[in-house]
Amino acid sequence: MKCGLNLMVCSFVIGGLVYADRPDFNDKEAPQTLGDFREIQSALQSHLERTRSATVCLQMGGGSGSAVIISKDGLVLTAAHVTSKIDEEIKVIMEDGREFTGRSLGLNSETDSAMLQIEDAGPFPFVEVDLKDTTKLGDWVFSLGHSGGFDKARGVNVRVGRLVREAETTVQSDCMLIGGDSGGPLFNMEGELIAIHSRVGASREESMHVPIREFQAHWDELKSGKFIGDGGFAQKSEPGTGFLGVATEESHEGGLKVIELWEDGVAEKIGLKLGDLIVEIAGEKATKELMVSKLAELGAGDKLKLKWISGGETKEETVKLGERP
Amino acid sequence: MKIITLLVAITIPLVANSLPSEKRKNGPLIQEALSPIQVSLQESSAVFYNNETSKAFLYGTVVSDDGLIVTKASEIEEVESYYVRVGTKKFRDPIVVARNDVWDVMMIRIKAVGLKPVDFSQTKDLSHGTWVVSNGATERRFRRPRAGIISANKREIPGGSPAVLGVGLKEEDGDLSVDSVTEGSGAAMADLKKGDKLLKVDGSDIKNRDDLIAYLKEKSPGDKIKLTLTRGDKELILEVELMARHKLYGQEKTRNDQLSGGEAQQSSRRTGFPMVLQHETMLNRKTVGGPIFTLDNQFVGMNIAAVNRVEAFAIPGKELSDLVLELQKTP
Repeated sequence: MKCGLNLMVCSFVIGGLVYADRPDFNDKEAPQTLGDFREIQSALQSHLERTRSATVCLQMGGGSGSAVIISKDGLVLTAAHVTSKIDEEIKVIMEDGREFTGRSLGLNSETDSAMLQIEDAGPFPFVEVDLKDTTKLGDWVFSLGHSGGFDKARGVNVRVGRLVREAETTVQSDCMLIGGDSGGPLFNMEGELIAIHSRVGASREESMHVPIREFQAHWDELKSGKFIGDGGFAQKSEPGTGFLGVATEESHEGGLKVIELWEDGVAEKIGLKLGDLIVEIAGEKATKELMVSKLAELGAGDKLKLKWISGGETKEETVKLGERP
Repeated sequence: MKIITLLVAITIPLVANSLPSEKRKNGPLIQEALSPIQVSLQESSAVFYNNETSKAFLYGTVVSDDGLIVTKASEIEEVESYYVRVGTKKFRDPIVVARNDVWDVMMIRIKAVGLKPVDFSQTKDLSHGTWVVSNGATERRFRRPRAGIISANKREIPGGSPAVLGVGLKEEDGDLSVDSVTEGSGAAMADLKKGDKLLKVDGSDIKNRDDLIAYLKEKSPGDKIKLTLTRGDKELILEVELMARHKLYGQEKTRNDQLSGGEAQQSSRRTGFPMVLQHETMLNRKTVGGPIFTLDNQFVGMNIAAVNRVEAFAIPGKELSDLVLELQKTP
């Protein structure tokens, strides 16, 4: 036991000496000797085990993207066009094949940033984030992702390159990306997360990422589940397209009485029956007017909380609205 | 599983700070720093040139000092006649010695002495993130080195390309007959015709479609089978050469294939290998076939497929060494 402890202290000190500073190769215009390549290689390899274990595959609605865990309790950063909706259940797969359940938090539809929370209990492997924004143009970087979807035999796909262009809300590298990498992490050679994969140019050497500073600019909104902006990376549902699959009439005892149910509609699926009395909609007293205005405001896929009385029993459920036929 | 698509768009404003292209990963400054490995690439690579166009279309790996070269079979057979360059020397009239369709490798001999073959004795397993150096573009006297890293687990790539006859089949009243013949297929060359009733394959009875498919499953592209059939009131026996499905019908195209530049960039055969190393060096279908080396000039393997935008496959040195011994024994 003591031996193990000594080793740990030792590796900590060595680690500190080697990686506390910015690696020298970043300040050369390009590697000049094979020694420079070897330094890049050993820096990259020293971070691979940890960064790979925190790089996850996200699966939902038949689609697949990538993401990275940044806290012990399972906070995840990814791209808005991967989660595409807020408060959505998403499957999270680790490189070793373990699966967890995640829920999408907020997203920025204009810059392609998004957050997600793993709902299972941690601790999870996670990476450090370059919160001080220390990475500069020309720095060597490496990219991880579940390219083309989850493939256990292949594992996480690793690529290396340099930061080649910089703008406020987008950085470009020459690490190559492909479909399925979206939402995956880009690291500096100190093993810190610097950006999230977003999109590619026509050439194989043009890869665009959302920098961490863009996540920081909207951190609290993203974490609290807000849908930001009106951009092309994610679309809000269209108001008025949501469908509950139920017809009601106002009851003289208060609330809305169910008089018709659509077969396989969302109302039927959560167990509403003919004659049941809906007493609350979205936490407010149920009225015909409230029902009409809520459905006009919400779209397909949006959520609505209902409370109703069925056979003397009070029930409560949040339903996801279907598509209006 | 649908893959979340990367949007193809350049949205970085022109005012952005930009790194000059010569300093980028595949730029000339990096190539220059790799010049100590360029020597190995120069000596142990072969370059195949189309006789008709004099254009380079494929690399090869030199495996003996007296002129044996291995390369990617499915690419080289696309070109009718070719010559070879090793180092700066030109060699005419190469001869095909042997081939292996499992690995998609062809062995070719040129009349040469004193070549510098790759050294199989030094190959070892490389971990993720290790730099490897391949041939990029070629000039007449000079192979340009291009670097990438080992990017994923060493593994088998399932799939492969099944052997096909090139016919559509019809089952009617207990008879199995030819319904259509695909142009350019082995069946077309053997002169199979619509309406032929199939009775036997290599002497065994075929009762239905499943019997024939099960039999073909055990066969490889290039194998020949004898079909016994009746046409009108005649009984015929035709010998048919089986072809790889992808050659006849093309490989299935995914959205990621489209993102990868399609046929000009990707090897047409890119699945079905017993073992590969994966790296991320930017190759295309014309720059596979050659050797790859570590920064210490150790031979790592032979590039066998430009798979897509982010993935290249190589046959590992150990497996290639065994395969070369086997091919050399071919009578």
